[in-house]
Amino acid sequence: MNIVVCVKQVPDTATERRLRPGEGTLDRATPDGLINELDEYAIEEGLRIAEAHEGEVTILSMGPAKAAESIRKALSMGADKAIHVVDDGLAGSDALATSYAIAQVLEETGFDLVITGSESTDARMGVLAAMLAERLGVPQLTLASKVDIDGTRITVRRVSDEGFDEVEASLPAVVSVMEKINEPRYPSFKGIMAAKKKPVRTLSLADAGIDADQVGLAASATEVVDFAARPPRQAGVIVKDEGDGGTKAAAFLTERKFI
Amino acid sequence: MSFIETDVQKDLRASVARLGERYSYTSYTLPRARAGEPLTELWNEAGKLGFLGVSLPEEYGGGGAGIYELALVEEELSARGAGLMMMVVSPAICGTILARYGTGEQRRRWLPGLADGSKIMAFGITEPDAGSNSHQITTTGRRDGDTWVVTGRKVFITGVDRADAVLIVARTEDHRTGKLKPALFIVPTGAENFVAQPMEMDIAEPEHQFTLFLDDVRLPAGALVGQQDAALAQLFAGLNPERILGAAMAVGMGRYALAQAVKYASTRRVWKTPVGAHQGIAHPLAQTRIELELARLMMQKAAALYDSGDDTGAAEAANMAKYAAAEASIRALEQAIQTHGGSGLTAELGLSTMLAMARIIRIAPVSREMILNFVAEHTLGLPKSY
Repeated sequence: MNIVVCVKQVPDTATERRLRPGEGTLDRATPDGLINELDEYAIEEGLRIAEAHEGEVTILSMGPAKAAESIRKALSMGADKAIHVVDDGLAGSDALATSYAIAQVLEETGFDLVITGSESTDARMGVLAAMLAERLGVPQLTLASKVDIDGTRITVRRVSDEGFDEVEASLPAVVSVMEKINEPRYPSFKGIMAAKKKPVRTLSLADAGIDADQVGLAASATEVVDFAARPPRQAGVIVKDEGDGGTKAAAFLTERKFI
Repeated sequence: MSFIETDVQKDLRASVARLGERYSYTSYTLPRARAGEPLTELWNEAGKLGFLGVSLPEEYGGGGAGIYELALVEEELSARGAGLMMMVVSPAICGTILARYGTGEQRRRWLPGLADGSKIMAFGITEPDAGSNSHQITTTGRRDGDTWVVTGRKVFITGVDRADAVLIVARTEDHRTGKLKPALFIVPTGAENFVAQPMEMDIAEPEHQFTLFLDDVRLPAGALVGQQDAALAQLFAGLNPERILGAAMAVGMGRYALAQAVKYASTRRVWKTPVGAHQGIAHPLAQTRIELELARLMMQKAAALYDSGDDTGAAEAANMAKYAAAEASIRALEQAIQTHGGSGLTAELGLSTMLAMARIIRIAPVSREMILNFVAEHTLGLPKSY
């Protein structure tokens, strides 16, 4: 089974993240680039499915040269090979442009199953899996907290307010996963050593057959018109309890429409 | 030696750090230490991931890297408060000695288990009358036909209750007195006439210390490691990694303490300013950072020398690193407690417990004073005092 896991390098959520003035795009030059957390669950799920169904896991990442670190980390977890789409022309691509570029690569590599994290910690759009499925003309099974595969039949469990839904489709398909699905493994020392020798194909726009006019900041359908730093937190209100503390607290919550 | 770590070393550091975060100090190690219970889950997982056996040969299931990498593993775990004392003993001392001097049979039998953590070997050198003066070891192995009969007593032997065997430092009957010509025996903990008695220590630790009584313990010929009466080299092959790993634990604990202190000093406000803005708080923490960094660098130098095959050069560096790391970590913990004020002594933070653990490394495996003697005599060429 040919499994492709989409991996995005994002700035460490523990550090301060900035938008670039003018473009309104995320400043990716910060030193601490990490694998998007939900993508680690996607990698783990890909590895588990590959182990159970004699599959091969390919990591697919679009991002600047620095993303190579995250690709190596994904390979050290046990993936077999990787494709890194890196080109200055991709900078500033929104979700729609990104999904076009990734779909172009997937058309070329072929796949039985594409797995993504359900959203990234930077842009938080949570739409890539759906867009990919649409572009590729295959079923989408999103927000999965459990994946079962039986031949070409794929079933996922998706948590809902009432319990969970079971969604069924046939392969090839696109799945996005939630953090409940598994516990990602840590790279073992053997995995770290082996990652050095695993093949990573680096593709430019031309290599991947991606039309330069459909990607990048200029071609993006969405535009960041303006942004501002979050205002500093206001000082809290201290309510002195003079026998009516409960009433005052309730009034405070009512005023803000919490109750 | 390069100051720039390879991608493999960096990735190993990152992976070990994440494992350590999951088994963090206050949620896992500290309660276990207080209950005197071993860190089995962490040990098993670190073994499975190849972290415990990183320095052992690949053909016996190890990672094929060096003591540098093993020290890196210990440092990163300790920096999360999840240091493993048995790593110092089982893979670092016993694993290294067996890999370098063990017979083919001994390596096949023990190294894969020591590498993945499924087997543990303790190490017994100290005796009631032979601590720093290990030349006075009296535990003796006597040949009897095809077997060895070992008799003696050991003290302060770590982790014997969890170990499958103890590597016992003895001497042979023909060399009962005089300069030590050590004979090393693998003694299974289940052997007849082998008795391990727990010692009562005033330290909260996951591992226990034991007094061992060997009363004519009969062992097969294959229990003798390497050459009978081999030069001290065979023993020191394990003792230098022990010092380097001890230094790594100390550096890690120091880093943990400093991180706690910095976090607290950055957020705790007395009047209007975070206390970390005051130089009375800031300078000692900055000084601690410098001392830890220097100790760490010395530890890395010792490991690099050892891995290059320079046992003699490594001995001096390993001693200096262990000295510097123990002192720096004790000061870091002292200062972390002081920075926290009253909170520094609460059970919740467990800094006093860690201070007692760091305090061990000033004494073991070789005391601060014996290192100063070593440097005075061997490095400076001063007259010997004892």
